[in-house]
Amino acid sequence: MQTLRDTYRRSRWFMPAFALALGLVFLAAQWIGDDPAGGLVSLAIMAGFGAVLLALESRSGTAAILNRPAHDERARSLDLAATAFAGVVVISIILVAVMVQLARGEDPSPYAELGAAGGVAYLVALFGMQRRR
Amino acid sequence: MQNRIRELRALAGLSQGQLAEAMGVSRQTINAIETERYTPSLPLAISLARHFSHSVEEVFHADAS
Repeated sequence: MQTLRDTYRRSRWFMPAFALALGLVFLAAQWIGDDPAGGLVSLAIMAGFGAVLLALESRSGTAAILNRPAHDERARSLDLAATAFAGVVVISIILVAVMVQLARGEDPSPYAELGAAGGVAYLVALFGMQRRR
Repeated sequence: MQNRIRELRALAGLSQGQLAEAMGVSRQTINAIETERYTPSLPLAISLARHFSHSVEEVFHADAS
């Protein structure tokens, strides 16, 4: 099923533009936090990442999929699997962090809240998707 | 899943890039199908089979060892 989100993600400019936008958000956040120099470094890193992706697109299958995660069905499938894998890794790290904090007798925040948010997001997504498919 | 895409593409005198363009997918996807690293969706399998004027069963062999 083609979605509006997929339409944007088919463009070779999707990830470079996203990286640049994220860099600008970093800049704004660090500027507000009285660290404009750090913000400029963050923006440069994100802009550089986008430029590298564009440069490598024709030579690297990984860069091509990173640039255009919805280019075709295989790219979408790999993007989905990689996203799920990354999610499992992050949730696992959060759970370990919660256990370590509890074992130290310390407050498990903010790891417990992050883990709860991940769990609730999964349940809501599962509930919504199983009604549509 | 075993398939005859490489054989049929060669018979048709097409490059992977040309077949990919005709199917609206990347050349890497055609390569991954030919080397059996990726099983295409049913719509893409049907499109590929029709492109070569074959049925899906003639092109893809799900039960082949």
